[in-house]
Amino acid sequence: MSAGQGAGPAGGGKWTVLRRREAVGPLEYTRRWWMRLTVGATFLMLYAPIILLVVYSFNDSRRNIVWRGFTFKYYEKAWNNESLIEAFVNSLAIAVVNTLVATILGVLVAIALWRFRFPGKAAYEGFMMLPIVIPEICMGVAMMAFFARVGWPTGLPWPLTLSNIMIAHIAFSFPFVAVTVRGRLVGFNRELEDASKDLGASEWQTMRYIVLPYLRPGIIAGALIAFTLSLDDFVITFFTAGPNSVTLPVKIFSMVRFSVTPEVNAASTVLIVITVIATVLAMRFQSPSRRAGGEEG
Amino acid sequence: MHKSLGRRISRRGFLAGTGAAAVGVTFAPKVGWGVEEPKLNFYNWDTYIGETTLGDFSKAAGIEVKMDLYADNDELFAKLKEGNPGYDVIVPTNDYVERMRTAKMLLPINRALITNFKNIDSAFQDAEFDPGRKHSMPYMWGTQGIGYRKSAVSSTPDSWKVLLDSDEYSGRIALLSEGIIEAALKYLGYSYNSTDRAEIKQAEDLLIRQKPHIKVFAEDNGQDLLLSGEVDLAMEWNGDILQVMEEDDDISYVVPKEGSNVWQDCLCIPTGAPHPENAHKFINFILDAKAGAAIADFIYYATPNNAARALLGDDYNKNPAIFPTAETLARCEPSLYLGEEVERIREESLTRIFAA
Amino acid sequence: MESWRKNPVVFWLLNLGPAFWLFVFFIVPLTIVWVVSFGEKRGIVDIEITWTLANYVRAVEPLYLEIFWKSIVMAGIATLACLIVGYPVAFAIAFAPERLKAILLIAVVLPFWINALIRTYALIAVFRSRGSINFGLEWLWEQANGLLGLIGLGELALLGEKFAPLPLLYNNTAVTLGIVYAFFPFMVLPLYANIEKIDRSYIEASLDLGAGQWRTFFSVIFPLTWHGVMSGVIIVFVPALGAFFIPDLLGGTDSQLIGNVIERQFKSANDWPFGGALSFLLMYLTFGALALRAAVSGRKQGLEA
Repeated sequence: MSAGQGAGPAGGGKWTVLRRREAVGPLEYTRRWWMRLTVGATFLMLYAPIILLVVYSFNDSRRNIVWRGFTFKYYEKAWNNESLIEAFVNSLAIAVVNTLVATILGVLVAIALWRFRFPGKAAYEGFMMLPIVIPEICMGVAMMAFFARVGWPTGLPWPLTLSNIMIAHIAFSFPFVAVTVRGRLVGFNRELEDASKDLGASEWQTMRYIVLPYLRPGIIAGALIAFTLSLDDFVITFFTAGPNSVTLPVKIFSMVRFSVTPEVNAASTVLIVITVIATVLAMRFQSPSRRAGGEEG
Repeated sequence: MHKSLGRRISRRGFLAGTGAAAVGVTFAPKVGWGVEEPKLNFYNWDTYIGETTLGDFSKAAGIEVKMDLYADNDELFAKLKEGNPGYDVIVPTNDYVERMRTAKMLLPINRALITNFKNIDSAFQDAEFDPGRKHSMPYMWGTQGIGYRKSAVSSTPDSWKVLLDSDEYSGRIALLSEGIIEAALKYLGYSYNSTDRAEIKQAEDLLIRQKPHIKVFAEDNGQDLLLSGEVDLAMEWNGDILQVMEEDDDISYVVPKEGSNVWQDCLCIPTGAPHPENAHKFINFILDAKAGAAIADFIYYATPNNAARALLGDDYNKNPAIFPTAETLARCEPSLYLGEEVERIREESLTRIFAA
Repeated sequence: MESWRKNPVVFWLLNLGPAFWLFVFFIVPLTIVWVVSFGEKRGIVDIEITWTLANYVRAVEPLYLEIFWKSIVMAGIATLACLIVGYPVAFAIAFAPERLKAILLIAVVLPFWINALIRTYALIAVFRSRGSINFGLEWLWEQANGLLGLIGLGELALLGEKFAPLPLLYNNTAVTLGIVYAFFPFMVLPLYANIEKIDRSYIEASLDLGAGQWRTFFSVIFPLTWHGVMSGVIIVFVPALGAFFIPDLLGGTDSQLIGNVIERQFKSANDWPFGGALSFLLMYLTFGALALRAAVSGRKQGLEA
């Protein structure tokens, strides 16, 4: 099957070169041409609008419709737009804290629901689904009413001024993590856990060396969802944000309602570039041995 | 069981104060407690202030201004309804001034501190929606009308008929998703603020009948649709169309001959504002001739500030899209707050129109 | 599964944090809106809680039920499309070599770290009459016409007098596509986590025993990933039900979904009691569906065991 050896549209070409050129194994689906075609087409669809967005950030026109020549001026404008930068930093800070806390809470609850039988479990599970089920706007309003009624302080110094947004984000994103992690836990061979305990491992050791490594792909997927949800959320944030806690989506939303200027495109492009760099660095620093963990499936 | 869910602003304000004190903020957030910290939180629409206005004010008054943006009055209202999260100056439109004033969401403005009030055109010194101008100061005003592509229309579309009761431009029309019932009422010869169920129903039927010819109910982005050639006629606010007219000579704006909506955005201080003194200083600064002229010259909306107009040239003062003729204006009406019952009837009509 | 009594310390350690968070920062705020949904408006901001059911009665009027139904259908179609497009991607990632896997995972999520609204606007730039797709088609049309002219058929105007741009925006298809585009990673990620854990030997066995790739997929792989499919379907379908700015921006004159109606109640209509009632009705519906699914899959598991 030689078709699989061409450079795949999904960016797989480099990897093919690195591997030995051999016949495609039955399970090497990524080396099959039809798989590459489907995945490549999907990624093309996913990225075409983004590429366009990046291209238009260099457009010398106030509106994203006709190409009027190349310019960097919108990057300069975005860079000098203090409130945009501030919103950007706020968003990242919220997303990072949210990802950490929501992932921990989500994993805990997923393990608890998988492992234990307890009275009222069905109701508990139902409540856990609530944040997924509730329309965003309703939750936003609920959060706003809640923070107004408890008199959440508004004049706090920087990271704390974001606290109510963080709380709200964690509340709606950790159930998403729980759902994702639970999907992974279903079918986990409990004998492994029992064996570990029989061999004298403590509860913590079993968790640390048996359960968590197995869960790793689920946790990564869940964390990615939590990060994405937080970074992307507009509705709930809008209702919980005050004058000193504007996030990027809220800022951008108020800007684009009057038309999408290339300044917004420029800011988004910077966001993409930063996340790409951060990801590449994170992958570099991740040691190969750790990466191999959790693959025994 | 009876439970009132009114706002809890006083308590919230108090807690905000203690919260600030607890973390060691030295400035007292309340007027009575001493000198206000030199800060101001301004909540405004996007692209609705002069390029250097905030910096100029900071330099002049030594007060640091932070501007946040909202996209429409409903957002502003929804956000302040449960309590002010810390804004000092807001810019609601006339009917929302009335709404918020009625709901005690606005602080009275101390006229003694607004020395520049004399710059305001006498027609704007009092207002139906805020008798005696106790809670609001006029900022900008304008009209709603039809933005259109000159090369795509057979004649100037100076009637709501073109948008609401004709198939001539089928599939090339964008309407706003709000204010369509009101526009239809105007076309049918009724008041923009009609509270009559039968009249509202008639407007609803007209719109449902016209729906096949309408391309989209736009979210205040009719100007973009017009500029990108997606539609040739768009119901929009004059300022939005003016912005795209600068980019494309082929676009123009007209107020329909049946009359339309005339609006007025106002500077107000919301209840619970942490820096009301600074807010007064800021409002007074904006009503200043030079500052007002700089804003008007940049955002190209009609200013009620005569002293500011005197500093600007003819291409602003004589622009028919900014300042319609007195005759046109006479046929326009401001939106009024009509009470909850009518609001609900209109909302249900709107749902039926969109669902039809 | 063990009883919580057997290991209460671990049980509480696992549950205390999430339960606290859920209760204080979610159930309590939501209860406010729930209570309001039994209230009556008494002015601009005052709501009196009279425990009336009037808001719910109004919410089940045919007008709103039809919108509910329409939202369910649209969200359903979008979810199915998401599954069909997302499955192969998740599958490819799960079976990719280790390093490529990480890159692909990030590649799936990356577009979603840009604000959803901006993404939707970017989609508009692709789809609109003077957008990339139509520009591309117009170019093709001109080339084809030129070709026809060369072989002497130009006079016939076989392809029409003028290029007519496809109306790709402002209709329900655009809304569906917008939803797929907006929720895509929420389908791929749980699927990936599930496909990844399949014991490869099952697939090998199936292939060795003579089943083709397709048969192996439908009889072995897909059933094994059923839980992932359900996770993905839930976290796409349910939020899609409440979508409002996608139909606002991409929809035509008949694209009003229940999310739009709910949004208007909380904003322009300023009718929190009714907005609350609609939200909770939507929630009860979703819960009903989830309970039904749990019952069905429970029965299925019972049969399998």
